[in-house]
Amino acid sequence: MNAAAVLRMTARVLRSGLPGLIALLLGIGFFEFVQPLVIASFGGARGLDAIMDRIPPALQAFTRTRPEFLALSGLAGYLSLGFSHPLYIVLAGAAVVGFAARSLAGEMDRGIIQIPLARPISRPAVYASRVLGVGIISALLAVVGPIGMVAGLLYSRPEGDFVYAHLGATTLNGLALFWAVGGLTLWGSAAASTAGRVVGWAIGLLVLSYFVDYFAGVWAPLQRIAFLSLFEYYEPTEALVSGRADTANLLTLAGVGIVAAVAGLVVFTRRDLPA
Amino acid sequence: MPLDTPAIAVSNLTKCYGPVTALDGVDLVVPPGVTYGFLGPNGAGKTTTIRLLMGFIRPTAGTARIWGHDCWRDGVKARADLGFLVPADALYPDMSGAALLDYMAGLSGKPPALRRLLLDALELGEDALQRRLNTYSKGMKQKLALTAAIQTRPALLVLDEPTDGLDPLIQRAFEQVLSDLRSQGATVFMSSHDLAEVERTCERVAIIRDGRIVAEETIGDLKGRRRRMAEVTFAGEPPPGLDALDGIDVIEREGARLVLSLEGAVAPLLRFLGNRDDVVDLLLSPPRLEDIFLGFYDAHPNGRANGAEPFARTPAPEEAIRR
Repeated sequence: MNAAAVLRMTARVLRSGLPGLIALLLGIGFFEFVQPLVIASFGGARGLDAIMDRIPPALQAFTRTRPEFLALSGLAGYLSLGFSHPLYIVLAGAAVVGFAARSLAGEMDRGIIQIPLARPISRPAVYASRVLGVGIISALLAVVGPIGMVAGLLYSRPEGDFVYAHLGATTLNGLALFWAVGGLTLWGSAAASTAGRVVGWAIGLLVLSYFVDYFAGVWAPLQRIAFLSLFEYYEPTEALVSGRADTANLLTLAGVGIVAAVAGLVVFTRRDLPA
Repeated sequence: MPLDTPAIAVSNLTKCYGPVTALDGVDLVVPPGVTYGFLGPNGAGKTTTIRLLMGFIRPTAGTARIWGHDCWRDGVKARADLGFLVPADALYPDMSGAALLDYMAGLSGKPPALRRLLLDALELGEDALQRRLNTYSKGMKQKLALTAAIQTRPALLVLDEPTDGLDPLIQRAFEQVLSDLRSQGATVFMSSHDLAEVERTCERVAIIRDGRIVAEETIGDLKGRRRRMAEVTFAGEPPPGLDALDGIDVIEREGARLVLSLEGAVAPLLRFLGNRDDVVDLLLSPPRLEDIFLGFYDAHPNGRANGAEPFARTPAPEEAIRR
């Protein structure tokens, strides 16, 4: 495989959606920047404890952790909510799903994929450039949130203890989740012929996955299928509080991404390009 | 490239989309150094053939080879020295013209030796190259796509409707580019709706209809087999006996003027007329590729052409003579 060509194609597909990607990264960074400011405005972790007690259980499930755990974990626990908030998931999901859908199915739809495939470039090389792109975007998404949060902490200095090094485990958690979402989307992108259809599939999968995980927290029968949800393996609160990312969870998400990406490769190398 | 290996060799190539057969057992050989025209109306199978050659789609049966390499299984080698005209609407709209040319040359792995020459010939200026493609007209995109396809001086060019969207002056300039490339040994495989252009540019043609090749030969041979039209004006009443000449039919009689259909050599007609002193005028129209091409489609409006019968088609005399 021509590594220089793969890097060249990766740079191209990343640049083609750069304004949107930058906007989403800034949005995520700003969202996490705001978290410490909000906590500080409530009087720090102790101020929030009283509020959490009053939230009904169904809404507590949205925090994807237990209030008593948050109370024990202090500032880190409350800050971790910024990494499980639906807005954070939507912004990050839009970035990785958008890239994976646009860079393969979108280019097939518009015929642009003919540019590399009419040259002495193999389909696996073209696909590898998209996989590399998904990896880079996943890494950027995983890093930008913690960077925004550090900036917010330094700016607002909310009351409570916080270990900055624990953000590393949170970053790993995010990287694994976004990689899994990206791999699954890439698989759909290799099989579909329009970006819109892939975005529909991927958003549907994310929403379903999120709500299976959410309802499993409030409705016991759903706990049996909770293992099917990607969010079952995404634990930003534990990561930020303890500084440890669960290895089994990370491997599961990484494995999902790898298996999906390989499945997409098989599909892409065998299929007809749309007319 | 080896001169004993065909630039393109297609054998029993078949492509089905579900129950629809888009290409049905096509055989085709394009020798090296030839400019080859591939003709057919929309839906005949031209683009499907080109997409199979490029490895964009997988054949249902048969093989397509470029320089001996299977286009599907060994596509990277098949496309190693190939220039393909990407459709003008399939270019990155956010790139500048110059960046796109650099990108495509980079993927080819060869220097853009012909870029400057092509940009001059196609009149695509430096200021235009610095602009994004979403500001380009269709014609400008076509010029850029042509430059991108040819700039690395490939041994084989595969061009689908290369002059689509170009004005007549630029079309002629592009034909000169093709002529220069051919004189340097390049092989060109092009489809076109512009039959006059194919007639000016190509040495061999294949005509495809309903997914089958119905004719494949040099343009000269194709024209030689074609009935031609002649119009003879006499001083008085036209003489009898022309019908009796081999290969000649009188298809219209109007006063002193006769419209004849000729098949084969023109010598018997000239001998007949040479023995008379009442011939006022003689018009002989050259056979045109357009008439030949249209013959394949007019002869069998409801069925398949068989490759022989279309030559029996007789166009209206006005159509043939007044052009």
